[in-house]
Amino acid sequence: MSLSTLVVKEVRTLFSSPIAYAVIAVFIVLSGYTFTVTLFVSKQATLVHIFFQAAVQLILLVPLITMRQFAEERRNGTLELLLTSPVREIDIVLAKFIASMVVVLAMTSLTLIYATVLAVYGQPEWGPIYSGYLGLVLFGAALLSIGLMLSALTANQIVAAVVSLGLFGLLWAIDTLASLLPQPFENWLLGLSLLAHFTPFAVGAMYVSDFGFFLSVVLLGLFLTVRALARS
Amino acid sequence: MAVLALDGLTKRFGPHLAVDGVSFAVEEREVFGLLGPNGSGKSTILRLVAGYLRPSSGTARVAGLDVVRNGSAARQRIGYVPEGAPLYGHMRVNQFLTFMGRLRGLDGKAVARAVDAAVDRLALASVRGTIIERLSHGYRQRVSLAQAVLHEPELLVLDEPSNGLDPRQIIELRGLLRELAQNCAVLVTSHILAEIERTADRVAILLDGRLLTVEHLGGDHATAPPPSHLETLFLNLTQAKAI
Repeated sequence: MSLSTLVVKEVRTLFSSPIAYAVIAVFIVLSGYTFTVTLFVSKQATLVHIFFQAAVQLILLVPLITMRQFAEERRNGTLELLLTSPVREIDIVLAKFIASMVVVLAMTSLTLIYATVLAVYGQPEWGPIYSGYLGLVLFGAALLSIGLMLSALTANQIVAAVVSLGLFGLLWAIDTLASLLPQPFENWLLGLSLLAHFTPFAVGAMYVSDFGFFLSVVLLGLFLTVRALARS
Repeated sequence: MAVLALDGLTKRFGPHLAVDGVSFAVEEREVFGLLGPNGSGKSTILRLVAGYLRPSSGTARVAGLDVVRNGSAARQRIGYVPEGAPLYGHMRVNQFLTFMGRLRGLDGKAVARAVDAAVDRLALASVRGTIIERLSHGYRQRVSLAQAVLHEPELLVLDEPSNGLDPRQIIELRGLLRELAQNCAVLVTSHILAEIERTADRVAILLDGRLLTVEHLGGDHATAPPPSHLETLFLNLTQAKAI
């Protein structure tokens, strides 16, 4: 009951501000531009390049979705209202996560029109397309959970957004640093790389280990968010 | 049984001792005032009672329920108005009250009935469809009080409710507090001595987190006290101006 009430409130809050619409619009315009140009140049019925670009766009746009979630509630004092109501911290965190996922799902599902275009005018391989979308959703969920955790740690939205962006960028490209290090440090850092775990999904190869990585990041992020929110 | 019982309540923020072994009890239908200079620990005690903070040691019990061990059940019995009356500015009054009612476990017709009752009680009928951020400070304070009484709590916890209100609104709040105290105990902080003196049955005075004294205040507080000569003059001269 509390969870559904909180989810409805969070979805309404997200879509009552222009940020969600701006984020979705920018995501679609940029990926649409890339899809069109690449299709005309390569003439191949594939979405691999779209998946990689979408992942980078998520790195840039997810902080704009998560930055306000807790930071603004803390600054406005409404977090005090929520935490002094008979609701659990986990419900508050899950509601914000689910509402943010609605925005990410809206963004990614709008790109299905590209798959439709490929299906109408070509013969795409559907396996990589399915796995690519699954990868994007998992990738977006992982970014959201980290972004929410950072938002729960500060009352300043800008700080939450900038730190999220920095951390996402570092985790995306950490495999380049890994190549400079000796074993076993190289493998440890590669294990943290978002790019290394996302690439198999984007090219149509799904591994349980990559699925497990993203799931672990989501659960750890949500757990740490609850801890950050816990009454102290 | 006391509605609220504090026993050796202590709160540390690192090396800073914000609340130092405070003990007192608030009885049914009592308005209990907390007085003290800024930084004396008034708001911290209220946050500990409301469950926003955890005590470092000691206990706070609401209707016999420990606010830490039985946190959810204790919070269900409290109505809390934080300092500054924070609200979701983008929501309409009706929508906000319905949301807060559902969070407190009211559903379907029960929440609609509770919202109607709170709107009547706090005289919010004329603004129930208004977006909160467009309301005056006085109305925002009323909306905040309305969310706190929706579920008919046994204890109402109010942090500086008269802050930012004009004299007319303060006089109205005074009457409102006495009215609310007909059904529950009220724990209220203020740094305006005259306000506490006019509304509270008992008062605790704090300094540097320590309880200095608890005093019974004289006079009949069963109903709101009449306005003073200056207040009557102010009310007469500003009668045309609504809240």
